Amino acid sequence: MCASVKYNIRGPALIPRMKTKHRIYYVSLFSIVLLGLIATGMFQFWPHSIESSSDWSVEKRSVRDVPVVRLPADSPVPERGDLSCRMHTCFDVYRCGFNPKNKIKVYIYSLKKYVDELGVPVSNTISREYNELLTAISDSDYYTDDISRACLFVPSIDVLNQNTLRIKETAQALAQLSRWDRGTNHVLFNMLPGGPPDYNTALDVPRDRALLAGGGFSTWTYRQGYDVSIPVYSPLSAEVDLPEKGPGPRRYFLLSSQMAIHPEYREDLEALQARHGESVLVLDKCSNLSEGVRSVRTRCHKHQVFDYPQVLQEATFCVVLRGARLGQAVLSDVLHAGCVPVVIADSYVLPFSEVLDWKRASVVVPEEKMSEVYSILQSIPQRQIEEMQRQARWFWEAYFQSIKAIALATLQIINDRIYPYAALSYEEWNDPPTVKWGSVSNPLFLPLIPPQSQGFTAIVLTYDRVESLFRVITEVSKVPSLSKLLVVWNNQNKNPPEESLWPKIRVPLKVVRTAENKLSNRFFPYDEIETEAVLAIDDDIIMLTSDELQFGYEVWREFPDRLVGYPGRLHLWDHEMNKWKYESEWTNEVSMVLTGAAFYHKVTPRKKFKCPECTAIDGLSLDQTHMVERSECINKFASVFGTMPLKVVEHRADPVLYKDDFPEKLKSFPNIGSL
Amino acid sequence: MQSWRRKSLWLALSASWLLVLLRVFPLLRLAVPGGPWASAPQGWPRWLDAELLQSFSPPGELPEDALQLPHAPRGGSCNWEACFDVSKCGAGGLKVFVHPVAGPLSAAHRRILASIESSRYHSASPDEACLLLFLSLEVPAGECSPLPQQWNGGRNHLVLGLHPAPCPQNFQLGQAMVAKASPTVDTFRPGFDVALPLLPEAHPLRGGAPGQLRQHSPHPGVPLLALAEERGGWRTAGTDPSVCPWDGRCEQDRGPEKTHPEGALPNATFCLIPGHHPDALHFLQALQAGCIPVLLSPRWELPFSEVIDWTKAAIVADKRLPLQVLAALQEMPPTRVLALRQQTQFLWDAYFSSVEKVVHTTLEIIQDRIFGASAHPSLLWNSPPGALLALPIFSTSPSDFPFYYLQLGSHPVGRFSALIWVGAPGQPPLKLIQAVAGSQHCAQILVLWSSEKPPPPRWPETAVPLTVMDGQRKVSDRFVPHRAISTDAILSLDAHSSLTTSEVDFAFLVWQSFPERMVGFLTWNHFWDEAQGSWGYTAERANEFSMVLTSAAFYHRYYHTLFTHTLPKALRTLADEAPTCVDILMNFLVAAVTKLPPIKVPYGKQHLEARPPLVPGGREPPPAARDCINQMAAGFGYMPLVSSRLRLDPVLFKDPVSVLRKKYRSLEKP
Repeated sequence: MCASVKYNIRGPALIPRMKTKHRIYYVSLFSIVLLGLIATGMFQFWPHSIESSSDWSVEKRSVRDVPVVRLPADSPVPERGDLSCRMHTCFDVYRCGFNPKNKIKVYIYSLKKYVDELGVPVSNTISREYNELLTAISDSDYYTDDISRACLFVPSIDVLNQNTLRIKETAQALAQLSRWDRGTNHVLFNMLPGGPPDYNTALDVPRDRALLAGGGFSTWTYRQGYDVSIPVYSPLSAEVDLPEKGPGPRRYFLLSSQMAIHPEYREDLEALQARHGESVLVLDKCSNLSEGVRSVRTRCHKHQVFDYPQVLQEATFCVVLRGARLGQAVLSDVLHAGCVPVVIADSYVLPFSEVLDWKRASVVVPEEKMSEVYSILQSIPQRQIEEMQRQARWFWEAYFQSIKAIALATLQIINDRIYPYAALSYEEWNDPPTVKWGSVSNPLFLPLIPPQSQGFTAIVLTYDRVESLFRVITEVSKVPSLSKLLVVWNNQNKNPPEESLWPKIRVPLKVVRTAENKLSNRFFPYDEIETEAVLAIDDDIIMLTSDELQFGYEVWREFPDRLVGYPGRLHLWDHEMNKWKYESEWTNEVSMVLTGAAFYHKVTPRKKFKCPECTAIDGLSLDQTHMVERSECINKFASVFGTMPLKVVEHRADPVLYKDDFPEKLKSFPNIGSL
Repeated sequence: MQSWRRKSLWLALSASWLLVLLRVFPLLRLAVPGGPWASAPQGWPRWLDAELLQSFSPPGELPEDALQLPHAPRGGSCNWEACFDVSKCGAGGLKVFVHPVAGPLSAAHRRILASIESSRYHSASPDEACLLLFLSLEVPAGECSPLPQQWNGGRNHLVLGLHPAPCPQNFQLGQAMVAKASPTVDTFRPGFDVALPLLPEAHPLRGGAPGQLRQHSPHPGVPLLALAEERGGWRTAGTDPSVCPWDGRCEQDRGPEKTHPEGALPNATFCLIPGHHPDALHFLQALQAGCIPVLLSPRWELPFSEVIDWTKAAIVADKRLPLQVLAALQEMPPTRVLALRQQTQFLWDAYFSSVEKVVHTTLEIIQDRIFGASAHPSLLWNSPPGALLALPIFSTSPSDFPFYYLQLGSHPVGRFSALIWVGAPGQPPLKLIQAVAGSQHCAQILVLWSSEKPPPPRWPETAVPLTVMDGQRKVSDRFVPHRAISTDAILSLDAHSSLTTSEVDFAFLVWQSFPERMVGFLTWNHFWDEAQGSWGYTAERANEFSMVLTSAAFYHRYYHTLFTHTLPKALRTLADEAPTCVDILMNFLVAAVTKLPPIKVPYGKQHLEARPPLVPGGREPPPAARDCINQMAAGFGYMPLVSSRLRLDPVLFKDPVSVLRKKYRSLEKP
C-alpha cells in the first residue's frame, strides 16, 4: 500500500509540464482507467475467496433463499442404526489424526432446503434452536471450514424435533451429504424423539453409524460410550430470569408442576398431597383463564394461580415425571430454580450422564415407588439437600442454560473420548466453581512413607563464597542419607574452582552453571536430581549438624507432601496497614520456613507451602529492611494466588525423645538443638 | 507528438503498475490477519431473519404428547428398576444369603464363601435376605451347577463367578444379575451387572499384598513403557518415539528392551495392555505394580466401572492411533503421572488386593443401588481410604469424614468432646474433669460409667456440660458411636488418666492439622520377634513408636462408627476379654485406614512418675496381651501398624528463650 501512494505522488510531478486542458483530460482518463482496472481486478479476485468459504457471500441472507435440493424418490436411505456401535467399531479416529491441541475439528454442512420430487419440503428448513446450535459450534474452537481436515461432521438438517420432519425423506437427505459414508463421524442432535403412538426413545430417522446426541434416551436405546445423552432445551429458561436463591428449606417440600401427566400418576401425586397437606403442591394447567393469558407461564391448583417457572423456586424438591417421552424440558426449569429434581422415569438416561454425577444434584425414584417418594426424600439429611440445591443450579448454569452450553458440552464429551489422555476430570465437570477454588488437591495424596534408602539430593546455591561453600559441602556430606550433592554455580563472570580443589566426599558431586544470576535457580528441576527428596541449602548455612539434617530428612519422609525446614517464619495480618506482613522473631506460630535449608519433594508444585515442621534453630539474623521487603513479597504472592495459601501451625517436629530425661547415647538423634 | 508518446508511456506504466498492485493485493489481504478483510465471516452464516425462526418445540406442543400410558421395557433384557425388587430389602438395606453349593469346593470358592460370611451384609436365612447369591462354579467338564430350589426366575439373584465364562451357556439367567470377571462390553448391562476383576488362582483371602509403589514419582532410570505379552509376562521398551512396541510393523527398530518372566510385576511408568480378553490379568498386575495401565481399545468392562472413576488411574486409548498415544504419554506432565500412579496404588489397596475386598466391594455396589440417594458419593469411592472404609451410614456428606477436608477446603468443627471411661474401680475422676474442662476448646464432657458401682449423684460444677452415660460394662463400649457426641474430635480418656489443660490444648491444635490420625501422649512400639517368629510390642520408651494409648488420645468420632460396624465380631470380643487389646485394635484400625503412624505430643514427666498404672502391665505386656497383637494381625491379614520417629512439640518447646514468650510453658515443667 505504501508503495502505491509514493508512485501516485510522483505521477502528478510529470503533469505540470503539460497544458492545463490536457492535464484535466489525462487526469480524468487516468481515473477512468484506474477505476476500470480496480473493477476488473476485483472481479478476478473475488471468486478465489468464494472457493475457500462458500458462505461468504450469503452472510446476511435470508433462510428462505438457501439452495433447494430435490430428492428423487428412489434415492438411498441409510441403514436403521447399529445398536452395537462403539467408538472403536463405528467411529473413524484416523480422521481426527494427530492434533497437538487435542481438539477435534468439526465441520458444518451448508444449509439447504430439501424437497421431494413433488417439491413438498421435507421439513422446516431450520429451527431457531438448531440455528443457535450451529452458530455456537461455528464460533467455537472446534470449528473448521475445511471439510478434508474435519473429524466430526454436523449436518445442517434439523432433526431436533422428530414431529416436524418426514422420516424417510430426511434420511434420504442425510444419505446424500458429501461425506456421509454410512454416517461415520456424523453427529445428529435430537431433543424430541419418537412420535405417537409408541414414542421411541431415540430418533426414528434411519442414520446408520451416525452418533446421536439425543434428549430422551432409555437404557435400551442408548449406546453407552457412543451416543451422548443431552437435555431437552427449555426455551422458557432463557426467557425468564430467575435470580439464584440460596439453599435451605423452602415453602413446599415437594412440587409437581408438569401439565401433561398420565392420570394414574396424577392420582398418585394427589394422594401424596392429601396425605402430607401443605408441604406437597401438585399443579395443573389452568382451565378457566381468559384467552389473553399465556398458559405456558401459569399453573393452577384448584382456583389458585401460580407463576411458572417462579413457583419452582418455592420448592425444595420438584418432580420430573416421564411423559410419553422420557426426556422432559421441565428438568431444565427445575434446575434453573435450584430445586432438586426428583426424577421418576424408569430407564431414563439423564443428560450428560457420561460425565455428570447426577447423584449429587437429583434423586432418582423408581416409578413403582412413587407412593413412597415423600418418605424417601425425608430420609435425606438437610445438609445433603442444600448441597444438591447448589449442585442443581450449577448444572443448569454450566450445561443447560443455553443451546450453546448444550452444544459445547456435547462436543467436549466426544472430544474427551477421542483424546482420553487430555479429558476433563470428574472434578472439572462436576465441582461448582466455589468448590474448585476452595479446595486444595494434594499432589501427593497417597499416604506413603518413602523408603529411607532412597536418600536425598542436596542443592547448594552459591555465587562466590567458595570457602563457606566448601565447609557446607563437607558438613552436608556427613549426613548418612545424602545420595548426591548438586552445586548451582550462579556466577556468570567467574568459573567454579578446579575439580581438584573441591572437597573429597563419599557421594557424587555435580556443579551446574546457570545462565542468569537468579535466586530461584535453586528450584529448577535439574535432570541431575534423581531422588524425590531435595534439600535446598544456602552456601552459608554451616550451623546445622549432621543429626539435624538427617532428622530433617526423616521428618520429610513422614510428611513428603510438605516443605520441611528449619528457621520458622510467620505471616501476620497487619490491621493498621491492611495487608500481610512478615514477622521473624521467636514466636509460637509458624506458617513458612525459609528455604535457606529445607527439604521438599521434587515434583510438588511450590505453591503448596502448607505446614512446615521445624526444628529449633534460627539461623539468619535479619535487619529491618529485609523484613519489609519480605512482607511486600507476601502481599504480592497472596494477590497472585487469589487467596492466602499459607496456614499457621503451632507445632514443630522433634525426635521422639527430644530433650527428654533419657540417656543421650540411646537417642537416635542426640545432637539436635544445641545452639 | 513527443508529449503524446510521453503520455502514453506514462499511461502504460501506471496501468501496468495498477495491475501489479491488484495482483499483490489479495496476497496482502491474506498476510494481514485481523483486518477488515480477514474477519470476513466464514462458517455458519448470520441469517437476516434469524429472529423470525420458529422454535423447535413451539409452546403448547409439549403438553399434548403425554397422554399415553408409558410402555413397558422392551425385550427380555433387564435393568435395575425392572428386575430387582428393592422393597424386599427393609430399612436395614442389603441382606445376603448364599445358596448352598453342591459338590466339592475349590480353594478359590471357599475364599469367596468366607468373604461373604465375614461381610456385615451376610444373613443365614433366605427369608430375611433380599439378595440371593449363587456361586457359579467352574467345572472343567463344562457342566453347569444345577439351579437352586428357590431360584424364582432369578429375581433378586446375583450370579457370582470370579472367572470370565463360568458356564458355556449361562443357563436360565432369567432376571438374575451377573457379577463376573472382565465381562465383554457387548453383554454387560451397565447399572445391573457388576464387572469384577480377573483374579489369579492364588489370590489371598484377606489383607493381600500391598502395592509395589515405594515412592511417589517414577524412579529416573525406569523405562517409560512395559508391554503385556501374549503369553503372559511383560516386555519393557525404551522411550524412543519412533518405536511402536505393540505394532508388528515396526518390529525391526524396537528400542532396547527386556522380557520379564511370567508372574513378575512390570517395572515401568506406563503399562500397555492390548484390548483382548485374557489381558485383564495384566491389568491387575499393572495396578499392583503402580504401573499406569494404558488400555488399547479394551473389549471388556473395567472392574467396578459403575463406581470407580478409571480416568484417574488408567488411560483408555484407541489402538488405532498408536503414535498419538505414545506422544501423549511422553508429553504427559509429571504431576499427572504422579496422580495416576498414586491412584493405581490406592485402588489396588482399597478394592483389589484380596478376595474379601473384591467380594465386599461387589456387595457395597449393590447396597449403594438400594440406598439410592444415601449411597456413597463418588468422592468416597475414588479417594483414599475408599468406600469400604468410608461408610455412608455415618454420613453422605464427605465433609463429615476426617479424610476429605483438604479436597473440600473445609475444617473440622473447632472443639472437642471429652469421653471419660470409668471402669472397675468406679472412682469419679474429678481432677481430670477439671483439667479437661479448663480447655478453651472443650465442648462437652461425657462420662461413660461402666463400673458395677452406681455413679455418684453429684458431679463437680464445670464450665461445659457434663453428661453421665450408662455403659454396658464392656471395654469396647467406649468406641460405640454414642449419639451424645456432638463434635468431630473426641478426647478419649480413662478415669485414671492424668493430663494438664495445656497439654490438652496443644494436642487438640495438633489434631486439627491431622484430623484423620490419632494424636496421643503415651506410646507403644511393635516389632517382629525373630526368636518367636511372631509380633511383639513394648511400652518401653524408645526412638520409635507405632501406637498411642487410647486412655489419652484425640481422634475423629468417625472411628467409633468404623470400630463398631466394620470390625469382625471376633476381634471385638477379643478386645473385650483382654483390655489392653482394645488399644491395639483401635490403633490397627486407624493405621489400616490411614496407612500412617499416629502422632505423639509431649507429655509431662510428672504424670509418668505419679501414675505408673497408666502403662498397663508395667514395662512388658503379659503373654495374653502379647498374643493379642498376633491375633489382630491374623484377623486383618497383615500388619497395618507404621512406625514414626518424631514427636510434635510446640514451636518454642525447650528452646533457650524466656519462658514468658512461650505459649505452652507448663509443658516444660520439670
